[in-house]
Amino acid sequence: MASSRRRMLLKVIILGDSGVGKTSLMNQYVNRKFSNQYKATIGADFLTKEVQFEDRLFTLQIWDTAGQERFQSLGVAFYRGADCCVLVYDVNVMKSFENLNHWREEFLIQASPSDPENFPFIVLGNKIDVDGGNSRVVSEKKARAWCASKGNIPYFETSAKEGFNVEAAFQCIASNALKNEPEEEIYLPDTIDVAAGRQQRSTGCC
Amino acid sequence: MISDGVEDEDKWLASGIAGLQQNAFYMHRALDSNNLRDALKYSAQMLSELRTSRLSPHKYYELYMRAFDELRKLEMFFKEETRRGCSIIDLYELVQHAGNILPRLYLLCTVGSVYIKSKEAPAKDVLKDLVEMCRGIQHPIRGLFLRSYLSQVSRDKLPDIGSEYEGDADTVMDAVEFVLQNFTEMNKLWVRMHHQGPAREKERREKERSELRDLVGKNLHVLSQIEGVDLDMYRETVLPRVLEQVVNCKDELAQYYLMDCIIQVFPDEYHLQTLEILLAACPQLQPFVDIKTVLSRLMERLSNYAASSTEVSNGMLYSWLQSSNRGTDDDFMLQVLPEFLQVEAFAKLNNYIGKVIEAQVDMPIAGAVTLYSSLLTFTLNVHPDRLDYVDQILGACVKKLSGKGKLDDSRATKQIVSLLSAPLEKYNDIETALKLSNYPRVMEHLDNGTNKVMAGVIIQSIMKNRTSISTSDKVEALFELITGLIKDSDENLHDEIDEEDFHEEQNSVSRLIQMLYNDDPEEMLKNSDIAAEPFVSCFNDADHTLSAACQIICTVRKHILTGGPKRLPFTVPPLIFNALKLVRRLQSQEENTAGEEVATTPKKIFQILNQTIEALSTVPAPELALRLYLECAEAANDCDLEPVAYEFFTQAYILYEEEVSDSRAQVTAIHLIIGTLQRMHVFGVENRDTLTHKATGYSAKLLKKPDQCRAVYACAHLFWVDDSDSIKDGERDCYDLFVRFTVARSSIVPSEKIRCLVGFSLIWDCYDLFVRFTVARVLLCLKRALRIANAAQQMANATRGSSGSVSLFIEILNKYLYFFEKGNSEISVSTIEGLIELITTDLQSDNTTSDPAADAFFASTLRYIQFQKQKGGAMGEKYEPLKVRLAG
Repeated sequence: MASSRRRMLLKVIILGDSGVGKTSLMNQYVNRKFSNQYKATIGADFLTKEVQFEDRLFTLQIWDTAGQERFQSLGVAFYRGADCCVLVYDVNVMKSFENLNHWREEFLIQASPSDPENFPFIVLGNKIDVDGGNSRVVSEKKARAWCASKGNIPYFETSAKEGFNVEAAFQCIASNALKNEPEEEIYLPDTIDVAAGRQQRSTGCC
Repeated sequence: MISDGVEDEDKWLASGIAGLQQNAFYMHRALDSNNLRDALKYSAQMLSELRTSRLSPHKYYELYMRAFDELRKLEMFFKEETRRGCSIIDLYELVQHAGNILPRLYLLCTVGSVYIKSKEAPAKDVLKDLVEMCRGIQHPIRGLFLRSYLSQVSRDKLPDIGSEYEGDADTVMDAVEFVLQNFTEMNKLWVRMHHQGPAREKERREKERSELRDLVGKNLHVLSQIEGVDLDMYRETVLPRVLEQVVNCKDELAQYYLMDCIIQVFPDEYHLQTLEILLAACPQLQPFVDIKTVLSRLMERLSNYAASSTEVSNGMLYSWLQSSNRGTDDDFMLQVLPEFLQVEAFAKLNNYIGKVIEAQVDMPIAGAVTLYSSLLTFTLNVHPDRLDYVDQILGACVKKLSGKGKLDDSRATKQIVSLLSAPLEKYNDIETALKLSNYPRVMEHLDNGTNKVMAGVIIQSIMKNRTSISTSDKVEALFELITGLIKDSDENLHDEIDEEDFHEEQNSVSRLIQMLYNDDPEEMLKNSDIAAEPFVSCFNDADHTLSAACQIICTVRKHILTGGPKRLPFTVPPLIFNALKLVRRLQSQEENTAGEEVATTPKKIFQILNQTIEALSTVPAPELALRLYLECAEAANDCDLEPVAYEFFTQAYILYEEEVSDSRAQVTAIHLIIGTLQRMHVFGVENRDTLTHKATGYSAKLLKKPDQCRAVYACAHLFWVDDSDSIKDGERDCYDLFVRFTVARSSIVPSEKIRCLVGFSLIWDCYDLFVRFTVARVLLCLKRALRIANAAQQMANATRGSSGSVSLFIEILNKYLYFFEKGNSEISVSTIEGLIELITTDLQSDNTTSDPAADAFFASTLRYIQFQKQKGGAMGEKYEPLKVRLAG
């Protein structure tokens, strides 16, 4: 019963370099709004969205993160319990693509999911609209090859500005998050009061 | 109580998590059985774990996140409860029965979120209530996290424009008020931490404060995401209120961080329009706040904005062509650049940067230079046409640096390099930098090493852009700028210089010298292409360019001669070749303008070059100088300047005799001399005789026999004139010869003078005589070479019993064949046959070790003869009598 309540909530983390459009993707998906203005994100912030899936209603909790390290001063405790991790890069910036590996590894280390091999990631190549695609430097083929090499990560090309493929990407995110086996920390209440036991031991030392 | 007194944070965290999990377990059970009372009880107990004061912010955050996740389940439960008919207002009251204030407020915020969602009360009222209630927690860490929780759960429920919680009138203001109030309270808690607790823990506390900063800054992020915060509201309310908080808190960490946040979270166009307000706050900040980083980031943003908006405009045209779907943002972008002008962004930034530097007396030089450097980048991106702005910035920098002498601060130096490199990169044109009066003055403050690096950067820029430096004034300015590479500085003559680095940098100088006025000939061609009508004025222009070019040579020469013996070998050759290029252009021009007065004559240039090469004697570099003399001689030859060419040869010969002592170097030099001399046509008989005679003499005096032999047979070419052009020379030579003979003889026997002069009519006979004479001398050389080869062979036989000299014979055979083909009548078939016989015998003799190379060489020579024979025609006829027995 407890797990059923939990399963109504799906936690998704969006990671990627500064300026690749993480906040814009989230805003486009949740609020259907887009702004060309660049505004840095500070710390971690989430929005929720209800999604219908296989006749059930889920709440998608989408965590947008700061791409700039100096705005992530408290660390990444919020990774905990994530059901899916979305890696975003800008198809017009090579470095942001090269950093995907770093973001993926960082996530696996910090969130330490029980089955890192099969943890659901999704890669989004964003800003495909820029300059009619003329300023693009990362080809779809290259991105797909990388995704394939990391255990067939699903890949989407998106434009948060034009709303292109955003809905489809998040549908995939939701379904993969749902497939992720929850890591229920099975808690069995101890008959011994933990706090009391601790106190006893420490007084014993004195 | 704890004996060792050491806080084991992990232990505290573990116990906190254990307590939390236990209560969460019971809470889940209560939720599953819809037991509201138990749910509230256990959730309050669970939240009590957050009352700890023992955890650092990082660990506390971990605990908080666990509680946060559990509260989401509770929130869903509350939602279900209200659906089941429980009044949300009752719930809101009910949770306030929790015993401890912290759990109570977390629960209140959680229910409050559901309350707003239910819309049973205006969002504004609930939010106001919550933000007020949170004042109950005054412990910094606990308070900051609680308020951050409030901020998070209310994030999507603000009565923003277009939000479902938007009320009747002006509710955006309520949303903004709420966030601002929360921000203000959080900032107070955060700043207060600085003053709490014992002084000895200050360092640790500051570290913790730094970790907590994002909780405060996140409020600004929330503000920036509120859609209703338009430019007006930002200018009138948000920015002044935030800045007020920033300035008044008088806390270094907070001021630095929050200024950075403001710059990063709000959009560029807002900054541009409120620049004055934002900048005015800077001089009011605490004296040790790192404003330079803050301002640099602001300028970086603005200049990227300017740069990208031009890109967008270009890209936009493209997308506009593709589809007519244009967004409002794009329209905005097109107006960006005028906007920068309209708000006088440069003047404001420049003004406030000055004020900041003045206000922060202790700001290190590096900091000030960083500021100027960012301002410069900004200016170059936004106002690329305003060179005066650039010079103004450099001037301000000079002022700041004045009296500081050379900098030894590596960070400051690095900043100056980037300051100076920026205009080069932007304009791709050194001439622009040369116009900046303050540019060299800034450069003076660099230490010698960096000065050289900078000079290298300047040269690189010229190379990359193939900039033409077209006047001697500019060259003068340029050489002043790169003076670090041109001569040793006075101070550290004894500095250890890495040989490789030195070569690298001098090579770049020499490339630069080659580059100077490279483009001019094309300019000239362009001019003469315009052709007929403005014919005269064209050439006047060209004259002007050329004398300018000559001035450039003189300027460069002046500078490089100060370089000392180590640099001259690098700098003299490019100068010489550059000058020779000029000479050739002058020459071609002279042919065109025949008769007109030309200011710069090749003769003058040659004079300068002669003196320049002479400077190499201080190095000394006789072999290099010899080559250069010969190059000059050849150029003088092309200009028909016999005395000049002769002078250069004389110089080369003097060097050969006096300075070139290494035998290998001698061999190289003599072949160079022979080769050059062979191409000379300017010399009269007497001069040529002298030079040829000497060259032959040098050849015969080389150290090793084979070298002698090869040089001597090469000399044979000096006596041979074979192209039709030279026949004319032959005629003239013939006349010279005739007169010389006549005069010489007549001086002895006056009576014969008349007879000889009568013989003048016999000039053609004399010519014939002359031809026979030269033909004979060719043969003489070849015979001499043979004799030497013979001697070499005998020597070799005597010493090692082996022979490498057979290949010498084959080489001589080839020379014979060459002159035979050319029609030298003195070379007879029988001589060639004899030589072939000799070689054949030699190759087959027992006391020679086989030499495959010589065998092959000989065989292919014989094949060649065979081939020529079969060719028929005149050549075939010539070869016909030659009897050759093919080896094998």
